[in-house]
Amino acid sequence: MAENFSIEATDEGDLTTVALGGYLDAHTAPEFEATLQERIDAGRVRIVVDCGALEYISSAGLGVFMGFIEDLRDAGGDLKISGLIPKVREVFELLGFDALFEIYDDRAAAAGSFASAAAG
Amino acid sequence: MTPSEVPQTSGGRSGRLAAGSLEALLENARLLHSSLELEDLLRSLLRSVMGRLVVTRGLLALIEGDPSTSKVETVAVSRGFRDLPVGSLFDAEHCRTLGAEHLLPIGDPHHPVGHLALGRPIKGELADQDLEFLEALLGIAAGAIANARAHQQARALNRQLDQRVQQLRTLLDLGRSLTSTLEASQVAQALGLTLAGQWLLRRYAVVAWNGDASPVQRLKGMKIPAAAEIREELGALAGPAAIEELPQGALRSALEAQEAELVVPLLSGDKVVGLVVLGAPAGQRTFEAGDRDFLAGLAAQAVVAFENAWYFEETLQREKMERDLALAGEIQQRLFPTELPQPTGFGLAAHNRPASQVGGDYYDVLSVSSGENQRYLICVADISGKGMAASLLMSNLQATLRALLDTEPDLAGLVLRTSRLLYATTPASKYATAFFLLLDPRTGACRYVNAGHNEGLVVRRDGTIEEMTATGFPVGLMGIGEYRAEEFRLEPGDCVALYSDGVNEANDQDEQEFGMDRLKAALVKRRKKSAQDIVDGLFEEVDAFATGAPQYDDITALVAKRF
Repeated sequence: MAENFSIEATDEGDLTTVALGGYLDAHTAPEFEATLQERIDAGRVRIVVDCGALEYISSAGLGVFMGFIEDLRDAGGDLKISGLIPKVREVFELLGFDALFEIYDDRAAAAGSFASAAAG
Repeated sequence: MTPSEVPQTSGGRSGRLAAGSLEALLENARLLHSSLELEDLLRSLLRSVMGRLVVTRGLLALIEGDPSTSKVETVAVSRGFRDLPVGSLFDAEHCRTLGAEHLLPIGDPHHPVGHLALGRPIKGELADQDLEFLEALLGIAAGAIANARAHQQARALNRQLDQRVQQLRTLLDLGRSLTSTLEASQVAQALGLTLAGQWLLRRYAVVAWNGDASPVQRLKGMKIPAAAEIREELGALAGPAAIEELPQGALRSALEAQEAELVVPLLSGDKVVGLVVLGAPAGQRTFEAGDRDFLAGLAAQAVVAFENAWYFEETLQREKMERDLALAGEIQQRLFPTELPQPTGFGLAAHNRPASQVGGDYYDVLSVSSGENQRYLICVADISGKGMAASLLMSNLQATLRALLDTEPDLAGLVLRTSRLLYATTPASKYATAFFLLLDPRTGACRYVNAGHNEGLVVRRDGTIEEMTATGFPVGLMGIGEYRAEEFRLEPGDCVALYSDGVNEANDQDEQEFGMDRLKAALVKRRKKSAQDIVDGLFEEVDAFATGAPQYDDITALVAKRF
């Protein structure tokens, strides 16, 4: 917990990008959960969580993703993940999150996937 | 098995392989050994066999586990055998009836690791050369398969190890977070998020019960019945259990209806203080055997954190209540008159000492004007119960009296209306005994109503004492009833003492009461002193009697003395 956690949500068009940084663990996960909840309550359903600056993720951090995915997809949106460093990606894969979530190399690719889905 | 330990093919034909076949064999061996993915390996093996021999139907079956002990053989790759899909049980005879013309063992014919089955080649019969090629190729394949399997196992082991490490990390992470959490709802949140992430849960519920307080819950698509409905079943829970392991009852049927998979009790000693219910994991995840111990570990951490949070909450609440009480006590003390009026020819003194921060005794002296005639209403009351409720009734009584004072000229009527108003606005268990004395200082004439209160005492100049017993029920006790007003006159040198039962019922260390005799004696002894001295003296005697024994009740005394 000595490590920092940062979160920043930006809306652009109908896409919301949530950039995470530092340590996402049981201590900081509630803040992430609150931020996502707030954006979703505001009607935002297309979300990219950019983990490019994320150094560590715990099960509790991943638990936040589980809480929203069904509602988002039901509402015609999705939550996509981008920019995992190898150490973080390992945890995603180990717990099977790579089978449930679309994971992209970077934010632009994740955003683009929404755009192309909309076009198609 | 390492690649160098390729089993020898049977028969002596291998030496006669044509140069072209040798080349193909070499190429295949290279290809097979370059792949550590069993599935890829088998596919490429079948592909090259079918391509080289020009057959349209072929399949590979592998024995599960150790070939020297296992007999279970299942289809691993299947091309053109529509009735023998991947995963189906392989049987040589059955395979022949479905059109397999060639059935060859993979590896040692006595203990093959599997079989290759081929349909009829396009060109008809297979040449000896082809069969020799196949035997050699399958021998090489056996080694490669063993390799790939060993690799697969190592990977599975590694993955298991990684998962154990992840479990440890999760335990540590949750523990670290919980030590800094002092709110039960945050404990439930941290536990819930951890579970959701660890097992890919969309639906789960965490509930923690702290006595009769409303439970702390985190519900995601699931509900847990109220503790009272499932008490017996909770008592039987000793650790994580699958829903089908639960005894039949309200808990089991509720959880079955919600398609829950696991239930984890939050145990504090033997006592179940909460419950975690888990729905099905998403994706490929399932609950595994080792998960229960891990879940029990997470639950144990959460219990400690819940109990810490509850303890902290209670401490906070206690402190807050104490602050509230102190504040209420301050407000209440301000309800007592700071200075008593001193009518001409009379001395008035009073003192109140509450037993706790907030008391239930009340006294007041109100001036009643009717033209030239200035009279005084003196009141001493003892409210039923103690604490906040009593103090509320006290302020209620004071407000009612003051409001009615000028509208009700008759004393008995005033007390009756006060009683009715209090009765209407407070629960029946809240009432007050009270002594009301209306003093006319010009003449010393007094009227009084004793509403179920202690006897008022008139101490005459000569030391005789007259008791003024009850003339009606306590105020606020009933909506009906009458009050009778009595009269007497205070002559010069006489005084009247009103008090609460905290005076005569004050205890000493041996729980002996101060009593009416000591009270009367204390008054008589000081009857020639000022009202203030009489009141002070009375408190001194009570304190000397109690000698430090705790004061259980509020003590109030009021004295009016005619000079």
